[in-house]
Amino acid sequence: MSQGPRSRHNNRRNQPKQKNVERSNSTDEQNPVVKAFQEYARELDSKHDRYERIVKLSRDITIEAKRIIFLLHTIDGRKDNRTKVLEEAEQRLNKVIEFNFKSVAQELIGQDPYQYRCAYSPGLQEFIEAYSFMEYFKFGNEGTDALSDWNVLQDKMVYENSGKEISEATDFSQKSVDDTSNDKIESAPMDKDNINNFKFLVDPTEYILGVADLTGELMRRCINSLGSGETVVCLETCKVLQQFYTGYVSLNVQRCRELSRKIYTMRQSLLKTENVCYNVKVRGGEAAKWGAVFENKISDDLDEGFY
Amino acid sequence: MANFANLQVFANYQKYIDNEQEIRENIRIKVREIEHLAKEATIQLQIIHSDLSKIEYACLEARKQISACSNVYHQLAELIPVGQYYRYSDHWTYITQRLVFLIAMVIYLEAGFLVNRETVAEMLGLKTSHTEGFHLDIEDYLMGILQMASELSRFATNSVTMGDYDRPLNISHFMANLNSGFRLLNLKNDGLRKRFDALKYDVKKIEEVVYDISLRGLRNNCKQVNEENAVSSNEK
Repeated sequence: MSQGPRSRHNNRRNQPKQKNVERSNSTDEQNPVVKAFQEYARELDSKHDRYERIVKLSRDITIEAKRIIFLLHTIDGRKDNRTKVLEEAEQRLNKVIEFNFKSVAQELIGQDPYQYRCAYSPGLQEFIEAYSFMEYFKFGNEGTDALSDWNVLQDKMVYENSGKEISEATDFSQKSVDDTSNDKIESAPMDKDNINNFKFLVDPTEYILGVADLTGELMRRCINSLGSGETVVCLETCKVLQQFYTGYVSLNVQRCRELSRKIYTMRQSLLKTENVCYNVKVRGGEAAKWGAVFENKISDDLDEGFY
Repeated sequence: MANFANLQVFANYQKYIDNEQEIRENIRIKVREIEHLAKEATIQLQIIHSDLSKIEYACLEARKQISACSNVYHQLAELIPVGQYYRYSDHWTYITQRLVFLIAMVIYLEAGFLVNRETVAEMLGLKTSHTEGFHLDIEDYLMGILQMASELSRFATNSVTMGDYDRPLNISHFMANLNSGFRLLNLKNDGLRKRFDALKYDVKKIEEVVYDISLRGLRNNCKQVNEENAVSSNEK
């Protein structure tokens, strides 16, 4: 091991002191303390390695999700490209679910997903943002459906084991998570073929935080469509934003700093959109565009904090 | 479009989070019980700094408190859904580290060696691996051991004050072992690393104590020391 020279040096330094203590013959290999610590080192290393691997996977997810969001922003009423862009976005999102999240889930087989939460949460939140943004456009078409909640996403992130990496320890955590949180997922059938299935745990809190980011995208969309003269979209996004805000202020959550910070940002976005709608009403779409350009410069550098 | 922001989602989330908060409150009650017991044990162990003859008694008393903790840990474990240890673990990491420290101290005072993780886990009624259930996290164990190092450096000074000159040597040897153990770990730049960086000051303090004693030939088995001194002065 790389510690060889280091510990030897250490040993030499201690030698004069150890001379008169009866243990002078103990080499490092026989020392029970050293033995125990070699074991601890192995355990810590494997934990850190897994953590780093998940961080890497999560970063890829973040990048792809951001790109999908950019793609969705290109939806433009004038170009009539909605269906095409939506199709592509949905395809790419499904790919992320199929491959990227699967790899994370594989890393987490037999692990406590909460232990590695910090490693994957940026990617997951960004993904949820992209996914719900896609749904926003998708359901905007039909005008009936609502945003799907975490259970829907959770159902999508259940994977079949390809066979070779079956471990005896196949997520004991899966069952428990199901019956304690008030998920509606039927845990009984899950339990049965647990050996063949594993899943990526979609934590409701991560979901709520991810959707909070969605409001920033809606605000951006509102401003963009003002630029392109689609004032109907402005009013529409404003309405949706108002509803989201109502939902978020209705939550009573203690000990979640992140959420209250996001709600604060959400309020800023909301005020901005409401102001846009006001300008549209008072001055008509044409003039409001100029007001928006000067007053709302912030729209572009509003980000979620990573990157 | 008007229904897109589905308020039902928020209502569900509120239910979910209320459930979580209830669990957290129950956890806090149990953790407070453990904190109380640990405090008692800490008080018992303070006697070692002022009266060496009471060490044995103090260890016995501390052991009583510690074994009482294992019951409460058992109740605590029942509150935590399987596989969600790390969701709530921030409530008890601090106190668990404290208990590791107390146990390690007791074992050192009684037997003079470093308690390993398995033994600590056993004494607290915990498992060592997370797959087996409520367990003793390795980082908590290591943090507790590091706490013991600072306590030992204090103990070394005080035992000299009380006229026990052999003990600092023993402690010094023990700490050197501990230090070389910790050097085997590849620590990330986190809390454990920071705490480990403080270990060298404890080691330094003990080495100074040993130096002072050896220099003045104050050790109880003086004869041997004098010979040693003679040898080393000849070398110089």
